Amino acid sequence: MPVEGTRRIDENRIEVPKDYKPGMRTNGIIFVDEELEKELEKGSVDQVANVATLPGIVGSSLAMPDVHTGYGFSIGGVAAFDIEEGIISPGGVGYDINCGVRLLRSNLTKEEVLPKIKELVNALYNEIPTGVGSKGKIRLSPDDEKELLRKGARWAVENGFGEASDLERIESGGCIEGADPSVISEKAYERGRAQQGTLGSGNHFLEVQYVDEIYDEKIATQLGLFKGQITVMIHTGSRGFGHQVCEDFVKVMEKAARKYGIELPDKELACAPFNSPEAQDYLAAMRAAANYAWANRQCLMHWTKECFLKVFNISPRELGLTLIYDVAHNIAKIEEHIVNGKKRKLIVHRKGATRAFPPGHPELPEIYRNIGQPVIIPGDMGRYSYLLIGTEKAMEETFGSTCHGAGRLLSRHQAIKLAKGRSISREMEDRGIIVRSAGRETLAEEMSEAYKDVSNVVEVVHRAGISKKVARLHPIGVIKG
Amino acid sequence: MSFEILDISGDIGLKVYGKDIKEVFIEAAKGLYSLITDLGSVKPERALTIEVKDDNLEGLLVSFLNELIYQFDTYGFIGREISIESNIENFMQKPPETNLWLKATIMGEEFDSSRHERGLLVKAATYHNLRIFKDGDMWQAEIIFDI
Repeated sequence: MPVEGTRRIDENRIEVPKDYKPGMRTNGIIFVDEELEKELEKGSVDQVANVATLPGIVGSSLAMPDVHTGYGFSIGGVAAFDIEEGIISPGGVGYDINCGVRLLRSNLTKEEVLPKIKELVNALYNEIPTGVGSKGKIRLSPDDEKELLRKGARWAVENGFGEASDLERIESGGCIEGADPSVISEKAYERGRAQQGTLGSGNHFLEVQYVDEIYDEKIATQLGLFKGQITVMIHTGSRGFGHQVCEDFVKVMEKAARKYGIELPDKELACAPFNSPEAQDYLAAMRAAANYAWANRQCLMHWTKECFLKVFNISPRELGLTLIYDVAHNIAKIEEHIVNGKKRKLIVHRKGATRAFPPGHPELPEIYRNIGQPVIIPGDMGRYSYLLIGTEKAMEETFGSTCHGAGRLLSRHQAIKLAKGRSISREMEDRGIIVRSAGRETLAEEMSEAYKDVSNVVEVVHRAGISKKVARLHPIGVIKG
Repeated sequence: MSFEILDISGDIGLKVYGKDIKEVFIEAAKGLYSLITDLGSVKPERALTIEVKDDNLEGLLVSFLNELIYQFDTYGFIGREISIESNIENFMQKPPETNLWLKATIMGEEFDSSRHERGLLVKAATYHNLRIFKDGDMWQAEIIFDI
């Protein structure tokens, strides 16, 4: 049953009309087909409507097909605000600031890696700090940490983690300008000090995969991808550092919203006018956390490379493990968009949504200028993930944004119940996927059945034209927290 | 045990019961620790004292739990026994002259993955659908964590 008060626009979209809820300044648009609409929670629709009540919203309050209920903003939400009249909200970014994904290619094939996959997964699991209570191998002095916050992945490269050529293959070059270490709380510093270079837990993972399907031969070739090729996907974010920044600023913003007289339908939507000191401090702190996350994924990539080199005993050149791209899927950024024929500067919030810029966009690096931005969409650990490419249509309809993943189907407890008496690790091995995990119940919580089929999500964005399928990636080895 | 798990998609919540608000705070803390590891395996070896302040009850509970999350995530401190001093009850009687404050003493130890199970990585306590209310003689709270 459709959620009452919504109406279908076309095959891929429904509308949350302006009269769905009092106070809406604009409508909402949710990208779901009839199939995904069956799983759409009323809570998510309410959240899309709540976001539409915030001051200075431009265009529609959007949600991607992997939408589900979050805090304040739904997961899968995209909302753009005018930088003169609008707001910025930590709830539109989330606790895991710059949670994101990077994809690496290699010269190896599935056939070459399969005989040693167990050894490889064990090496990765031992090398990469993973799980609750794990500490990183990098010890940051207070000065190091400040520099890392300013420089992001550039800091990592300068300190021997990876190559300078990696940087242009990261959204924003792996370093967003305007990060200000002076607005960061002592607590965030303390919390971040031992967590740089760690994977975390929950749905974060590092996956060894192979390319099992190619949809766009031309773009795949230009990205250096071929069928049967080994790739690696890394999904993590800014760890405790980002969580602390978000938490600090939810408090600040809750008071700021009262101070500036912004009416909030939900406390987690706490926000402040973009030009207020509170908002500018949050922006500077959020950027620092975004940089922390890009450095983190850069360090993890470096250790991944070392593991491959050791296990396969080959030269870096033979291995050819290089970055395809790295995207943020929890972030707010100042971007230029054409709205009703006029160029406007907006603060675009993407919470569980990925930037998907088209060919020719000035923010893309030279190497991808002619094909568009690679978009990485992780699925669950037992099925597959996707590589897509950004399109012009996304610029027109979604502020250059698309989906970010599969979205959960079962709650953690439902999943654990379903997994009772089963060995998920053995089931995965029977399906040709070697898994190592640190947590007592992580594998049960993260099993395939707990997630929607990511291909349903990807089909919607592909059909709607807000990004295009390039390749599908199948896991053979996974480490989790 | 006077807390139970609230099962929601994506994350996890706690429903907590107590004879007064202080007990609700204590049970919420135990509930949080039990999400992170098996409470029975935690030894009450050393004391940690924390203090939080806020101008409203919900904010105080969020700040309190987030402080415990911070202490775990930063220093690995995992607790088992909690005692609380606070002006919460006074505040309920005659609002709202002073800020709420709470001082908690927590007995626990440093997390050690060779002895403690790794449960959930709790990122933060949130305001989402947060409720603290009295039902009959019992106080209750519902709180959702970002996982």
